[in-house]
Amino acid sequence: MTPAPFQPVRELAALVRTRQVSPVELATACLERLERLGPRYNAVVTLTPERALAAARRAEAEVAAGRYRGPLHGIPYGAKDLLAVAGYPTTWGAAPLRSQAFDVDATAIRRLDEAGAVLCAKLAMVELAGGMGYRQPRAAFTGPGVNPWSDAAWSGGSSSGSGSAVGAGLVPFALGSETWGSILSPAACCGVCGLRPTYGRVSRHGAMALSWTLDKIGPLGLTADDLGLVLDAIAGPDPADPTASARAFRYEAEDGGRRFRFGVLRGATDGAEDEVKQRFTEALAVLETLGSVEEVALPDLPWETAIRTILQVEAQSALEDLVESGRIGELTAPEDRVLPHARDAILARDYVKALRVRGVMQREADRVLAGLDALVAPGRVAVAPPIDREFRSVLGGAARDLMGAVGNGAGLPAVAVPSGVGARELPTSLQFMGRAWEENTILAAARAYQARTGWHRRHPPGAAS
Amino acid sequence: MPGVSDAQRDEILALLALIRARYGARLDPAALAEIEHAVAASVAAAHALRQVRLDNADGPSPSFVPFRAEP
Repeated sequence: MTPAPFQPVRELAALVRTRQVSPVELATACLERLERLGPRYNAVVTLTPERALAAARRAEAEVAAGRYRGPLHGIPYGAKDLLAVAGYPTTWGAAPLRSQAFDVDATAIRRLDEAGAVLCAKLAMVELAGGMGYRQPRAAFTGPGVNPWSDAAWSGGSSSGSGSAVGAGLVPFALGSETWGSILSPAACCGVCGLRPTYGRVSRHGAMALSWTLDKIGPLGLTADDLGLVLDAIAGPDPADPTASARAFRYEAEDGGRRFRFGVLRGATDGAEDEVKQRFTEALAVLETLGSVEEVALPDLPWETAIRTILQVEAQSALEDLVESGRIGELTAPEDRVLPHARDAILARDYVKALRVRGVMQREADRVLAGLDALVAPGRVAVAPPIDREFRSVLGGAARDLMGAVGNGAGLPAVAVPSGVGARELPTSLQFMGRAWEENTILAAARAYQARTGWHRRHPPGAAS
Repeated sequence: MPGVSDAQRDEILALLALIRARYGARLDPAALAEIEHAVAASVAAAHALRQVRLDNADGPSPSFVPFRAEP
């Protein structure tokens, strides 16, 4: 039986477990799609066929012998090319690092190995995870990420290939990373689901550091349920990453039809496109059938400014070798070659003040969320930007990102799911953001929303053919 | 620098001098103009942050954690 694209992990797992589909057939089909269609979307940096087929054969033998490991056993995936994989380049999306290699696997990759998942490709990303201040899609040596819904639209970033590979049906799931927006943005742009876990939920050992206090690793997939399955495999403490929390995580796929209490942050749709606002209003109507919806507010403090200051200073330190050596001059986006120099001008006093404002933000966000199951908002205030224009030149490009600043600044989990069709027939998205460590709550809410809507079952026509 | 106070302008120029001293040899006039905009944005951000009144006990987040290798 030849597996079709766009089958969720949960369905593929049932086929693998009952031996209706072979992991080798699955890996072969994904490798073929990645090789043939990956270039259409600029989605792939490196295929990993040797590793994939060895893992798939091992999975096939284990399943046949009755040693089934669980729902990721024999399931293909791709990983953002900032995660180290021994034996292959790890480029961080940056031209000057095309031949960079590490001799260890990132912990998230190792954990997926242990779950039996099959790594098929290292996926494209915005250079240096977008940390140099890029202002347009042409900021990766693999070319701009092309959206599966329109080759005139960007795939989002910085986990560009992770979004487009899932959105185009090349792999059932992928790993991405988020410092500020880099999972939720490509998920929203490509019409797929993305989960930003709580800071510290997933080890970052073996991942490029952009901002030590903001970086998170998380999955992109076809359903909220699939994201829970992947998080279950990759979460947990890691002696190699002292910021990885000791808190245990087990995905709870059943919630017993509970009622939810949702909040909408005042200002969450300021500057949003009209179609995005309309889809969000429709989504709220669905959410009202699942529970209650109320407006809530945060104090008016410079949240975005504080988090941007922290990100820029930490990125400048994390990537100082590239800046000091002048090798940023080899980056793809012209602005990425220049703007980092300006960050030397941020004073230590202001960085520490930003960290102190962040402490207030954490308490205020938790106060608001304590009475709720989730804050909800559009996943992005605009659909995917045009591939050939600066972000700030399009509607929504200069809009505030209060949810992104507060969510990433306070280290809170969020899940984005497709919510309809917006301008230029591109997908819109809905995000659920929860209290720290409440991934099961927001995934339950997202699953309940998906049980009442069909947007996650809509795929770009002809994308995987 | 329209819309910038004298104090902020002096701060921007001082910080630009620092960047010129460190990286001037590799920056052409167009790059320096871009950097001036970025520094102006950073200075504006710093002034916004400095307006936030905090208590003495409002420490930075994340807080410092002592390290001890296991075991």
